[in-house]
Amino acid sequence: MTEPEHMKGAPSKSGLKMMSRATYFREAMLKNIFLVCAVLAVAAVALIFIFTTARGWGVIKDPGLAAFLGGTEWSSSLGRFGILPLVVGTLAITFGALMLGAPLAIGTAVFLSEIASPRMRAIVRPAVEMLAGVPSVVYGFFGLVMLRPIVAELTGGMGFGTLTASVILAVMIVPTISTLTEDALGSVPPGIREASYAMGATTWQTIYKVLLPAAKIGIIDAIILGMGRAIGETMAVVMVAGNAPQFFKGLGAPIATITSQIVIDMSYATGTHKTALFGLAIILLLMSMGLVALVRALSRLNAKKA
Amino acid sequence: MALTGCAGGVERREVVVTGSTTLLPITEVAGEMYSEHNEGVSILVSGMGSSAGIESVTTGSSDIGTSSRELKGAESELGLVDTPVAYDAIAVIVHPDNPVRDLTMAEVRAIFSGVITNWSEVGGPDLPIGLVNRDEASGTREAFSKIMMDGVPFDRGAVVLPGTGQVRSVIADVEGAIGYISLGFVTDEVAAVAIDGVEPSEASVVAGTYSVQRVLHFFTRDDVSDVAREYMSYVLSPDIQDTIVREAGFIPITAKEESGD
Repeated sequence: MTEPEHMKGAPSKSGLKMMSRATYFREAMLKNIFLVCAVLAVAAVALIFIFTTARGWGVIKDPGLAAFLGGTEWSSSLGRFGILPLVVGTLAITFGALMLGAPLAIGTAVFLSEIASPRMRAIVRPAVEMLAGVPSVVYGFFGLVMLRPIVAELTGGMGFGTLTASVILAVMIVPTISTLTEDALGSVPPGIREASYAMGATTWQTIYKVLLPAAKIGIIDAIILGMGRAIGETMAVVMVAGNAPQFFKGLGAPIATITSQIVIDMSYATGTHKTALFGLAIILLLMSMGLVALVRALSRLNAKKA
Repeated sequence: MALTGCAGGVERREVVVTGSTTLLPITEVAGEMYSEHNEGVSILVSGMGSSAGIESVTTGSSDIGTSSRELKGAESELGLVDTPVAYDAIAVIVHPDNPVRDLTMAEVRAIFSGVITNWSEVGGPDLPIGLVNRDEASGTREAFSKIMMDGVPFDRGAVVLPGTGQVRSVIADVEGAIGYISLGFVTDEVAAVAIDGVEPSEASVVAGTYSVQRVLHFFTRDDVSDVAREYMSYVLSPDIQDTIVREAGFIPITAKEESGD
């Protein structure tokens, strides 16, 4: 078979594919465009990290690493920038959100993956996915107007604080955890599920004794990513947490988080205060990097086991 | 040096206004309205704090320095001309169902520093006090701290809300709550308490008997430009005083003359 004349000029090392020069250039260009996209994404992360680190690096000198990481008081007017109360606040609210949100999300995922009829699934799944699309300011507003009075009634305070923020965040992280958990359950080989039923196990026994353990690492991944979402959430937290930079004093007492303090302070911060805010941003970045690293390590573990 | 504007040979003139962020709602809006009415005039407004305003009018980098405080120390010997623009009074507010309607300054200080934590300690019902504070960027917080707190730090456990409207709506909603907002923003949803027996009102502020107040100033050099002088008298005109100044929650400086003092 002789090749058409116009295809001859196309370079092809393998010789498997012959293409016209025009096609070759188009392909090469597309490859490069996608490469540029990937490079830009990586560059954005790198730039944010470099910029934040450069601006926040000064905390080592002023107020000093010990006063910054170990300080128990955050007050810009007094010039004290100790992040411990904020870190404790972030962890308390995140922990509360996971305690409430993770079981809810995993339950939803089990329902969607194992129990729901296709029709039911067609209703529930889009509803859960829609939770992820609700803007956080709407969650915050809902929390402020609907949830805060209820919490105030329960705790006897004003309703601003850890409990309100945790409940709102719990709802916000449900779609993240439930979608990923459903994926994890879906990737359990069907043979395992069928074997369990064939042994006479009930649906509950199959879920509890077979599926959840088999999908364990995927579910932990899901929870960690939900945790990342909770740690970074800002707007909804600012609206309901009460933003008092004090140590955890009970579920109904106002509290501040790293993100809420940054957003409250950033409009007027100067000098050391501004550096300290960038320092807080570094802490946040390190936290989420740690979580991503944890997820990657777990996935590798999972891959090795499989 | 006169630059010609594109609208046909109108002289371009500038007024640089620098200083207190508290005054921004007045200076900015009045500035926009003034340049709309006066072709070729631009009013450049920035908020960097009262001290920076006084500093920049002294060095000549701005025409008008705005300040939410009086001149202090060496500043009073710089020969600056003081033009009071508005009163800023702060009302201490509680829930309308709260029977406490009169507090001394010392009691308010004790409440906001966390020493008094129950309404029964100030003659009210046995109800825990819910403290609402503003964020540290707030000019109202700064003024309240200076006038009322006298160096005593705020209770760090107070709820911090980043806006006047939020403070008001939370206090309207929570029976034991107490907070403070500019007098101009007090509505029927909340009740303002008397301080040392004096109810906050325009009359008591103007008379000087209500103590939680301050005067907002324009400071200028004595060689102030004509256009800056015109802008200042525009800000002091009823057009601005009765609209923009009131809408920003302040009391017009002209209220004093009206009350016959």
